[in-house]
Amino acid sequence: MPEALGGTATASRPVPAPPAGPPTAPAAGRRLRVPRFALAVPAGAWLVAFFVVPIGTIVWFSFGYKPGLFGTHANDVLSLDRYREAFSPTFFATFQNTLWVGVAGTALCLLVGMPTAYWMAVKAPPRRRGLLVALVMVPYWTNFLVRTIGWQVILAPQGWLSSLLQTLHLTGGPLDVLYTRTAVLIGVVYNYLPLMILPLFVAFDRVGPSLREASKDLGANRWRTFTRVTLPLARPGIIAGTVLVFIPLMGDYVTATVLGGAKGNMVGQLVASQFQTAQNWALGSAMAVVLILVIAATVGVIALLGWLVSLPIRARHRLVLDEEGA
Amino acid sequence: MTAPATRPVGPATPRADDGPPPRNPRPRSWGDRLLTAVGFLVLAFLFAPIVVVIVYSFNEGRLLIAWDHFGFGSFAALTERPAIRSAVLVSIQVAVLSSLLATFLGTMAGVALARRPGRWTYWFIGLLLLVSVTPEIVDAVSLLPWLVYLGSDAGLSVFNGGIVRLVVGHSLFATAVVSYIVRARLVGLDESLEEASGDLYAPPVRTFRRVTVPLAMPAVLAGYLLSFTLSLDNTIVSAFVQVSGTTPWPVYVLSALRSGLRPEIAAVSTLMLVLTLVALGVVALVLRRSGDSATDIARTMGGG
Repeated sequence: MPEALGGTATASRPVPAPPAGPPTAPAAGRRLRVPRFALAVPAGAWLVAFFVVPIGTIVWFSFGYKPGLFGTHANDVLSLDRYREAFSPTFFATFQNTLWVGVAGTALCLLVGMPTAYWMAVKAPPRRRGLLVALVMVPYWTNFLVRTIGWQVILAPQGWLSSLLQTLHLTGGPLDVLYTRTAVLIGVVYNYLPLMILPLFVAFDRVGPSLREASKDLGANRWRTFTRVTLPLARPGIIAGTVLVFIPLMGDYVTATVLGGAKGNMVGQLVASQFQTAQNWALGSAMAVVLILVIAATVGVIALLGWLVSLPIRARHRLVLDEEGA
Repeated sequence: MTAPATRPVGPATPRADDGPPPRNPRPRSWGDRLLTAVGFLVLAFLFAPIVVVIVYSFNEGRLLIAWDHFGFGSFAALTERPAIRSAVLVSIQVAVLSSLLATFLGTMAGVALARRPGRWTYWFIGLLLLVSVTPEIVDAVSLLPWLVYLGSDAGLSVFNGGIVRLVVGHSLFATAVVSYIVRARLVGLDESLEEASGDLYAPPVRTFRRVTVPLAMPAVLAGYLLSFTLSLDNTIVSAFVQVSGTTPWPVYVLSALRSGLRPEIAAVSTLMLVLTLVALGVVALVLRRSGDSATDIARTMGGG
C-alpha cells in the first residue's frame, strides 16, 4: 500500500514539467517498436527451452531403439516398433489398469466432491465459507507423499484401523487392503479430491442465491431447482474439476508406488522404471507419448459424451417450455 | 418466459398455501443435515492421514507404522542425522530460488497477458495450459535426458549442478501458476491508473515499476508463496533430475520407503507441514487484505 501511494506520488511529480515535449515522442516511438508480447518473452523462452524442447526430444526418442546393454537410446533407424512394444500384453494390462483407476477415481471424486462443494457454497453459513475453503486447501498443499504415507499407516494390516475393525468384528482377519488396487483408488480419490471440490465450489458459489430463489418462486421443487438451474449453470466447474482430477491422476506415480505394490501398477511407474532401472529410454519415451495421447483421447471422449448427454436434455428443456408456451 | 410464471398461479396456489410452512422446516432438517454430515465426513477424510502422520511423529518406536510409546525423540533426528538435515536444507534452498525465478518470469508474463493482449495471447495461454496439464512424470522423464545433454554434450556444466537442475525442474509449473494468478488479478483491475500515469508523462518503464507492479503485488506475493510450497512438495521431477549429494526432502522420503519408514520421517514432515501452513496463512491473509472473497481466494489458490 505505501508503495502504491509512493507510486502515484512520483507518477504525479512530472506534472510541473509538461512543456518537455520530446519525452512523449520517444515514449510513443518506443511503444511502437517494442512488440506487445515483449514482457512474456522471458517466460516463453524459458518454457520452450525446458518444456517444449524436452518433450520434443522424448517424441524423437520414441521412434528410436535401445542399442545394447549399456546404451539408453539410438535414433539411426527410425521405426514404430517401440509403440508396438508398449502395446504388448504385459504393458497393455498396466495401461488398462491405469485407465480403470483414472476413470473410477475421477467418477468417485465427482460423486464425493459434488455434495461437499454444494454444501460449502450453498448450505454452510456464509461466514464460514472462507474457513471451509481453507480447510479443503490445507490437505491439498501439504506434501503429497506424506499424505499418502499417512494412508499407508492407516491401511496397514497391523495398523490401528485394522485392529479397530477387528475389535468391532467387522472383518475376520487383519485388514487386507494395502498394496491392492483398492488402496490405490482410495489414495488417488483422497489426493485429488480438493482439485474437484475447489472448481465445483467456485461454480456453485457463482450461481448465487437469486436464481435458485427465482426457480423456487416459479414452483420448482428443490430437486428440480438443482437439476434444472444450479447444475447446468455449474457445468464449467464440473468440466474443470473432471479434467483437473483426471489428468494428474492418469500420470500418477507416487500414490501407486506407496500404496499399490505389484497389484496396483500404473503407467507412471512403468515409464519411470524404463528410465531409471531398465535404461531403455526409447521404450520409456514411447510409453510417455502413449500416456499423453490416451489422456488427450479420454478427455476428448468425455467432452463428447458430455455434449451428447446435454443434447437431449436441452431438447427436452425447450420442448417443455414450448408446451407450456402453447 | 411468461408461461412458467403463470403456471404456479393455477395449480400451485393450493400448494403454495400449505406448501411453504411444512416444506421449509422439514427438508432443511433432513436433506440439509445429510449434506452437512457428508461435508464434515469429507473434511474428516481429508484430514485423517495428516492427523495420523502428526500423531505418529511422536512415536518412539523403531518403525513408523508400529506404534510404541509417546515421546519427542524423533524430532531430534533433524539435528542428529546429517542426511535428513541436508535434505531439508536442499529443499528450502531450491524452494526459495525456484519460486523467485518463477515469480520473476510469471509476473512479467501475467502483466503482458493482462495489459498487452493480442493474437499472441492464444499461443501463450496454450503453452501455459500445456505446461500445467502435462502429467508430472512426463515432465520428469523428458527433462532428465535434456539436462544430461545440456550438461555433458553441450558443455554447459551449470546443468550438472544438483541445485540448478532442481530449480529448473520446479520453476516450470510454478511459472504457469504465477502467470495465471497475476493475469487474473490485473484483468480484474481497471487500466485507468496506468493510463493516468502515462498521461502524466511517466515513461512506460516507470509506470510498470511504480503503478503496475504495486497493483499486482498481492497476486505476486501469493504466486511466490504458492510456488514455494509447490517446490517443497515436488517429488516426481525431483526424483528424476536430482544429482546425488543434493537430494531434496521428498526424494529422501521416497527412497526411505524402500528401506522402511522410521518415525523421523513423520517428525520432519510435521515440521514441513507447519512451514507450509505458515506460507499458506500468509497467502490467505494477503489476498484477504486486498479484498478478495472466499471464492476469489479459492480460484487463486486452485491455480487459476
